[in-house]
Amino acid sequence: MQSLSNQLANLTRTGVITSACEHSSIAELITKADEIKEQYPQLCQRPIAIQYTNSADFITALIAFDGWCSAIYLCPPDVSIPEKALIKWPLDNDTAMTDLSIKQLNSTSLDGTQTMWYMATSGTTGEPKWFSHSFLSLTAHTKHSHKLQALCWALLYQPFRFAGLQVMLQALLSGADLVDVVDYEPLAQMAFLKHGDVTAISATPSVWRQLLMTGQLSELTLSHMTLGGEIADQILLDKLYRLFPKAKLRHIYASTEAGVGFVVSDGRAGFPTKWLEDQTLSVVLKVSDEQHLLIKPSHPVCQSLAQHTDAQGYVDTLDKVQVINDRVFFLGRATGTINVGGNKVHPEKVEQVLLQCADISQVKVYAKKSALLGELVVADVMIIDTGVEQEVKQHLLKMCKKQLHRFEIPTKISIVNHIDHEHSGKLNRKQLHD
Amino acid sequence: MTNLEQQIRQAMQQVAELSDCQLVDPIDADTLLLECGLDSLGYAMLVAQLEEDLGFDPFTELEIDIYPSTFTEFLGIYQQCANNL
Repeated sequence: MQSLSNQLANLTRTGVITSACEHSSIAELITKADEIKEQYPQLCQRPIAIQYTNSADFITALIAFDGWCSAIYLCPPDVSIPEKALIKWPLDNDTAMTDLSIKQLNSTSLDGTQTMWYMATSGTTGEPKWFSHSFLSLTAHTKHSHKLQALCWALLYQPFRFAGLQVMLQALLSGADLVDVVDYEPLAQMAFLKHGDVTAISATPSVWRQLLMTGQLSELTLSHMTLGGEIADQILLDKLYRLFPKAKLRHIYASTEAGVGFVVSDGRAGFPTKWLEDQTLSVVLKVSDEQHLLIKPSHPVCQSLAQHTDAQGYVDTLDKVQVINDRVFFLGRATGTINVGGNKVHPEKVEQVLLQCADISQVKVYAKKSALLGELVVADVMIIDTGVEQEVKQHLLKMCKKQLHRFEIPTKISIVNHIDHEHSGKLNRKQLHD
Repeated sequence: MTNLEQQIRQAMQQVAELSDCQLVDPIDADTLLLECGLDSLGYAMLVAQLEEDLGFDPFTELEIDIYPSTFTEFLGIYQQCANNL
């Protein structure tokens, strides 16, 4: 049975993780993980929810619980635990006491459990949706080599999200080092990256632009540059190529829901049209009549994706694409979901907040293109009484600030006389997207 | 101070107020943009605001060789784009 701890045990060298200049060797974390299993044998084969606190404890928990617990849920700090039956990790005193009374399973003989990994994506209503993965599917694209072992990766994505977990697993399983700078501002991030001699960075295009704005990116010696989580544009790809012409420059398309993705490494935005319906690829791609990208992964997909999967096994990613000659370009989400620097914003959620204002009769929240952050949230509102526009705008902003994340707050609220609707009665966000 | 610089400073103030950020004082020619008090969302909002005020967005219209790090570089990019119009 393949598990994270088994894979790490097979490595000739394991790396070191650094956070705020504090180092933890993966070897130490493996020992800590073994101690956890010895101390809490009652957790064996139970589903567990890992609450993220810091990268070293998070990795320790992953090493301990993969292949040992029945399921691990990677809980973002602001997300409540999805089911009451789940055991929360780190254990609080009550859980530890209660669970000690539970009949202990023979943990040694059960070591080798196929653990399901669950990751959260933000849902339309603000409640997260959980998608299942296996260790095998999560590590399908993990690469190993002596060269990769010598790398030092920067962790710039939250590791409980798909992209962050991919970076973390790549570093762990190739024996490379990892410098965690997720929680810092760009200038502090650059200082840590320079101090840690980082050679490989995987980040959203927005984060890459911020690193460029520090004016210090060229002081690093990068051999691997990866962009993901947002649409990678040609201007940014060209800029990074000019800065590090010898580095491997890749942009990644990944779907948290389907747990798969593909890599484009020719330095051009989008992906080659000839990849469409190429059955030799590990992920077969197709474009639907509605111009959505369909993907057919080689492994079984999560049950909750069944409604988006056709008879041939293609999953609708709900990503809109456009084929221009030899290239397929990404346009954005068909659902109207707005991507603000890698953060998903559901317009419906923002609209619900705005509609709480009694002076508003109709509202439409949609994306505005941004060269720095990909997209920004903007809103059109129709008000009931004229003459109070400024007061209404200020009131709306106050409400948004109370109830929404900062990236969800409309950067501009326009008072309009008319809002378009589709025949179904749904708001017509498409026009503004296209 | 040129008219363009004045417009940029005003827009920065406007965005800072809108997003509850505090701009540093003074913002000199060499002040690092990332130390002005606006974060990445603030700068994206600033560029969107300036597009409305000035009618152009140099970050989509120009092939920028270097990303601006200081206030002067930011101003220079807008100046260059304005000259090209």
